[in-house]
Amino acid sequence: MTEVTRFHSLAITLHWLMAIGFIIMAASGWYMVNGGLSKAAQFDLYQLHKAGGVIMLWAIILRLIARLSTRQPALPKVIPERQRTIAKWGHWGLYTGLVIIPVAGWFMVSSSPYGLPTFVFVDWIKWPHIPGLAGDKSIQSVAKTIHWYAVLCMLLLLAMHIGAVGLHKIKHKTWLVKRMWWS
Amino acid sequence: MKKLRMKKLRMKKLGVQKVSVFFTLIFCLCSYLSAETLDTHSDSSTLSFSGEHAGRAFKGQFKTWKASLVLPPDANPSIVATFDLSSARTGNALYDETLLEEDWFNVAKYPKGKFTSTAIEQTEKGFKVKGELTLRNKTQVLEFVLIPTKKGYSAEWKIDRLQFDIGKDSDPSAEWVSQYIQLTLAIRR
Repeated sequence: MTEVTRFHSLAITLHWLMAIGFIIMAASGWYMVNGGLSKAAQFDLYQLHKAGGVIMLWAIILRLIARLSTRQPALPKVIPERQRTIAKWGHWGLYTGLVIIPVAGWFMVSSSPYGLPTFVFVDWIKWPHIPGLAGDKSIQSVAKTIHWYAVLCMLLLLAMHIGAVGLHKIKHKTWLVKRMWWS
Repeated sequence: MKKLRMKKLRMKKLGVQKVSVFFTLIFCLCSYLSAETLDTHSDSSTLSFSGEHAGRAFKGQFKTWKASLVLPPDANPSIVATFDLSSARTGNALYDETLLEEDWFNVAKYPKGKFTSTAIEQTEKGFKVKGELTLRNKTQVLEFVLIPTKKGYSAEWKIDRLQFDIGKDSDPSAEWVSQYIQLTLAIRR
């Protein structure tokens, strides 16, 4: 079996699209709550954020399928084994975050007292609520807490993820971005 | 002789019947011309509602409803109307779906709204109607003026949605959806 030097095309595509998606979602999520928007703008942004969350959830599901069904390039041997182990944990942490955040959001929307449906950008694609949660205030508050702290953890992991790329470039003279691009 | 008399008597009776039928018809015609009895429904007439959500105006219509009107000078004037709450359409899927929910119209439990008049009085402008509106099993007194128009009648009134517990969990302080909802009725014969 030949060694693969980069991730599968689907994984690469999703990695970068989801990187952009995550930044948009984190920014819109913060802004819709703290941006001091007018009621109308705030309402619209919430609906867009919900629709975006559905896309992010589908993206991570597809990403995990791609991850588990294709081969990954091994981390270069110049990186000490301990750091390679940390990297592996870090990557699974990022995947976990990308699952937990939209799922917690889905719980929030499903248990919200507003009961507003979620349309994925168009009226003919409706994303259902999780049944049996309507108006459940305790579920909503737990889901909200998880949604928020998972994003904070995700931002921390993301900083480490990007930091590690720089660190390995300087310390081990290896440019890891090549693994995540068509090179 | 006896037979003939009997015949005459029968003729007389028949005459009385004819006359009474005639007068009944005239009476009916008169009352038909002055007092109006009207059955109308959502195919020809419109019942619309409007309000504000998040500071933006929204408008909608009940697509399925019917009403029977008997107006003065009829001795027993009345208006009875029923409408399907699930037929409310605003043109915004988000609103339309939310309206059906338990906290709003709760159509699964209370599919119909009903209005029954308690008093109708002819005034200069038209007819002053008092009655009871039932939504979500809650009944409130309502008053409006039915104004004759070229094609039929029109009326406008407001309801306080919170009096019917509409949206009382989602938005009890009318932060998002206006507390008073304007209703506009346009009846076309």
